[in-house]
Amino acid sequence: MFAKPRFAAALALAALAVGGCAAAGTSTPSQGGATGTLSDAGAAVSSTDGTQSAAASSAGTTADATATAYPLTIDNCGTTVTFTAAPQRVVAIKSTSIEMMLALGLADRIIGVAFPDGPYAPQWAPGGDLPLISDKVPGEEATLALKPDLVYAGWESNVSADGAGDRASLAAAGVATFVSPAACQEAKYQPHPLTWDDLFSEIVQMGRIFAVPQAAAALVNRQRAELAAIKPDGRGLTALWYSSGSKTPYVGAGIGNPQLVMDAVGLKNIAADLPMTWSSLSWEAVIAADPDVIVLVDSSWGSTQKKIAQLEGNPATAALTAVRHHRYLVVPFPASEAGVRSVEAVQTLSAQLVKLNLP
Amino acid sequence: MTTICAVPRERTPVTPGDTSPQASLLEPAEAARQGAAGRVGAAAPLRVDALTFHRSGRLVIDDVDCTVASGTIGAVVGPNGAGKSTLLHLVAGILTADAGSVRLGADRIEDMTRRNRARRVALAAQQVDGEVDLTAAEVVLLARIPHLPRLGSPGRHDHEVVGAALRRVGAQQFADRRFAELSGGERQRVLLARALAQEPGLLLLDEPTNHLDIRAQLETLSVLRSLAGEGLTILAALHDLALAAGYADTVIVLSAGRVVAAGPPATALTPDLIAEVYGVHADVLAAPDGRPVFGFAPLTARPGA
Amino acid sequence: MTTRLTDRPSGSGAADALRRRPRATVFGIGSVLLVALVVSVIVAVTVGPAPISLRAVWQSIAAHLGWGAGRPPLTVDAIVWNLRLPRALTSALVGAALAVCGVVMQAVTRNPLAEPYLLGLSSGASVGAVVVIVLGAAIALPLAAFGGSLAALILTLLLAGAFGGATALSPSRIILAGIAVSAAFSAVTSIVIFWSTTGDSFREILGWLLGSIAGASWTSVAIVAVAFLVVGVPLALGGNVLDAFAFGDDDARALGVDVRRVRWLLLGASALLTGAAVAVSGAIGFVGLIVPHAVRLVTGHRNRALLPLSALVGAILLTWADTLARTAFDPRELPVGIVTALLGAPVFAALLIRAKRLT
Repeated sequence: MFAKPRFAAALALAALAVGGCAAAGTSTPSQGGATGTLSDAGAAVSSTDGTQSAAASSAGTTADATATAYPLTIDNCGTTVTFTAAPQRVVAIKSTSIEMMLALGLADRIIGVAFPDGPYAPQWAPGGDLPLISDKVPGEEATLALKPDLVYAGWESNVSADGAGDRASLAAAGVATFVSPAACQEAKYQPHPLTWDDLFSEIVQMGRIFAVPQAAAALVNRQRAELAAIKPDGRGLTALWYSSGSKTPYVGAGIGNPQLVMDAVGLKNIAADLPMTWSSLSWEAVIAADPDVIVLVDSSWGSTQKKIAQLEGNPATAALTAVRHHRYLVVPFPASEAGVRSVEAVQTLSAQLVKLNLP
Repeated sequence: MTTICAVPRERTPVTPGDTSPQASLLEPAEAARQGAAGRVGAAAPLRVDALTFHRSGRLVIDDVDCTVASGTIGAVVGPNGAGKSTLLHLVAGILTADAGSVRLGADRIEDMTRRNRARRVALAAQQVDGEVDLTAAEVVLLARIPHLPRLGSPGRHDHEVVGAALRRVGAQQFADRRFAELSGGERQRVLLARALAQEPGLLLLDEPTNHLDIRAQLETLSVLRSLAGEGLTILAALHDLALAAGYADTVIVLSAGRVVAAGPPATALTPDLIAEVYGVHADVLAAPDGRPVFGFAPLTARPGA
Repeated sequence: MTTRLTDRPSGSGAADALRRRPRATVFGIGSVLLVALVVSVIVAVTVGPAPISLRAVWQSIAAHLGWGAGRPPLTVDAIVWNLRLPRALTSALVGAALAVCGVVMQAVTRNPLAEPYLLGLSSGASVGAVVVIVLGAAIALPLAAFGGSLAALILTLLLAGAFGGATALSPSRIILAGIAVSAAFSAVTSIVIFWSTTGDSFREILGWLLGSIAGASWTSVAIVAVAFLVVGVPLALGGNVLDAFAFGDDDARALGVDVRRVRWLLLGASALLTGAAVAVSGAIGFVGLIVPHAVRLVTGHRNRALLPLSALVGAILLTWADTLARTAFDPRELPVGIVTALLGAPVFAALLIRAKRLT
C-alpha cells in the first residue's frame, strides 16, 4: 500500500528519535524533587530544595585527590567497562563530552571530536581547532580508523550500530566506550531527578578514569563555590524552557538538566510534573500556564531570533505574557545539556533574570 | 422460471426511413404525460458506409456497408474473430473508425456529442467485469446517466424507467441482489435491461444469448422482436444462425472484417455461403411454421465444391 | 403469463425499493451526520488541556464574530480562537477532503485499496516538508509541501504515460506509476532525514510524516476551506460521473462520458485537494482509505450517496481523532496520524474479515 514507504520512513525516524535524544526520557512514575504544576500561573509557590543544598550538604561527592588504581571497572549505563590504564586517544562525541575533557585539561588526549553543539566555553577553549571527524555522529569505520582507545559519548545512541559503533563490537576491537551517566536511557541508570551530586560525581569519575584526580577535585570545588554564590530567585516566577519545535514545542521537563538549572535559578518549571528529561508539550498547556519568563535555547539551527519570531508570529503564542513583554532568557545549547557547563547556565540565567527587572 | 413481460401491442409495420418518435418503455399514456421529456433518441434507420478500422496495424473492419431499417432487427453473424464485436463498438462510437461513416437517420454518429450519442445508442456488451459491487437495479440505473444533468440526481421518472426495463427482461426479482452474485444468464438480462433503460433509438447487442438456456434465448429474442415492433432499431451480434434466421429481418454475414452477404435470412444464409464462411456443410430445412431449421455437418471434400 | 406494462406495480417493486432507499436514507443519514459534525466541532473547541468553560468558549467566539459584549481573558481567548477553533475546523475540512479524495481514487482506479496519496502526493509533499524543516524555514512549510506533491503528481502522470496513447491513463498504470514515484520520493526523504537532521528537527519531521494538525492556524483553515469549496464540493456532487466508471472505460464511453477528460479532471481535482490537505496537516493516513469502505457498508456503492456522506463521516472522524490526540495524554500531544492508524488498522482488518465472510 502507499502508506508503506512513508510509514517505514516514519518508523525508522521514530526509532532514531527515541534512541537518539538523551532527552527523550522514560515515563517512570516516581517524581523526585519536581516542583510546581501546570495550573495556576499566578500563585507564588516556594521552590523546594535540591538547589542550594548541593553545596551545603555535599552528600558523598568529596573531592578526593587519591591516585587511580588500575584496572578500573565501572558499570556505565548497564555496560561494564574496564580501564587498564588512563585513556590516551579519545574520540569525544557531543559538546558535553568534549567540554568535560577540556575542562579537565585533557585537550591533548583528544584525537577527534564529532557532533559539537556550539562554541566551547572560553575558559577552557582549546588554543587551536580540535580535529573534527564529523558534524554529526561518525560511522564505526571512520571512528576505528583513528585507532582510539576510548569513545566518550554525550548521548547513549552515539555508541550504537548506527553511530560510532555498538558498545560490544567496539569493545571487541579493543576500544572502550563511555557514556555520560546523566544521559543513560535505561530507567535503572537514568538520574531521576538529576542532581548536582550526579554532575559532580561524573567529574570525579572522569578524573579517576583519566588519572587526573587533582584537576577533577579542583573543578568540582570551583563549581560548587560558583553555585553557592548564586541565590535562587525568591519571587516564585514560572518559566518555560523552550528548546525547539514550532507546531509542538519541545520543552525542558521535570527530571533533567533544565529542571536542575531552573531550580537553582529559582524559576518554577511549568512542565515540572512530567517525569522526563525533555518532553513535547501542547501550546495550549503552555498558554494556559502563561509562564512569567521563557528560557530560549540558542543553537545554530534554532536561533533565538527565529524562536522569538515564531512565538510572536503565531497569534496564539503572541498572547503569552512573556512574549508580549519580551521576557526572554537565553542559554546556549551546549550549556543546556547536563555537563560541566550546567553551573554556567545557572549563572547566565540568573544574571539575565535580574536584568529583566521584573516587578 | 421467469416470465418475460411483453408489451401487448401489435407490431406496427414500419417502413425504412420512418422517423416516428421513439417509443418510451413506459406505457403510451404515461409517456405522453411526460411530454417532450419522454421523447429522447428518435428511432431512425442505421446506415453504415464504407467503415474501415485498423487495430495494432491489422485491418479488422474492411469497408463494411450495411443498413438496418428502423423497427427491424439486424443480425450480424460470422465466425469467431470476424469482427462482430468491433463493428458494434464502432457503431456505438466507442471506437473511432479510420474511414467511413455511421448514420442514425440523417445524423452521423461521429458528429454527435458523447452525451447525445449515449442517449440515442445503447450497447449491451458481451463481457463485463463481474466484480462490480452494485445491485442489479443500481447497474440498470447507470443507464440513466446520459439523461441526467451534469451534477444531477436520478428522479422518479428515472426509477420508473429502471423498473420497467427490469420487468421487461424478467429480472425484477433479483433487482436487489449484487451484480457480482448473479449467474451469467441473469447478468445478461440485467445488461439488456440497462441498455433498454437508456431509452435509445438504436439498440446494439453483443451476443445477448451466450449464457442463456434455450427458453431464455427465445424469450430474449421475443423481447427484441417486440421492441422492434415499437419502432426501435436493433443490431445484434449472434453466433446462433438459427436464432438469427428465426428472428432477424436482416442478416449481415461478416467474415474477416468484410461483409460477404447482407439481406433477409433466406437470401443471406444459403448453404453455399455458410460453407464458404464457416467451413461447414449446412442443410436448410423449413419447420412447419416456415422458420428455417439448420443441420450442420463437417465439410468433406467434394468434387467441384 | 405476461404482465402488462399498464399495470402499476403497487408498493414493493424493484424500482420503488431503489427509489425509496436512497431518497429517504441518504437525506436522513446526511442530516444526522451534519448535526453530528457540528456537535463534534463544538466538543473539540470545548475540551483540551486548559480547563475552559463552555461559557468562556462562547464568549470568545461571539466577541470575534462581533456579537456579545463580554470578552474572556487574553490567554483564554488565544486558546479558543487561535488554537482550538482553527484546529477543529482544519480537522473537519481535512477529514472531509481526504475522504472525498479516497472515494474518487477508489472509483477512478477501480481498486478498493486506493487512497488519496496514490499519485505519490504524500511522498512528494514529505520531500518538500522535510527539506524545509531541515533548512529551518518552517514558515514555508505549506508551500513547500504543496510544491512537492505537485512535482510528484506530474512525475506520476508522466510515468503513467499521460501524454500518449489510448491506454495512457489506465488504472493499473496509474497505480504502478504512483508506487514507483512514492518509493523514489520516500527514498529522497529518508536521505535528507538521515543526512542532515539534528535531534530537534527529528521530532518535527516525525510529527509531519505521521500527520499532525498541531500547528493549525486560520491560514490553514483558509487553505483547506478554499480548496474544498472550489474542488471538493463539485467532486462530492459528481457521483454520477464516477458511477459511470463502474464497468470500465469502454462502458463509461458508451454512457456518454468523455473518459479521458473526465479522468484527468478527477485526478487533477483530487490531487489539488489532497495537496492542500497534506500541505496543512502532513500525511494523515487511513482516513482516505477506510472512510469510503465504512460508508459503503451503509449506503451501498453508488457514488452519488457515497461522496457527500463520506465527506461528512471523514470530517467527524478526523475531528474526534484530533481531539483524542490532543487530550488523551494531556499535557502532551500525539500526532493525529497515530490515532488514525490505531483506529484504522483494526477497522480495516474487520472490513476484510467481513468481506471474506460475504464471498
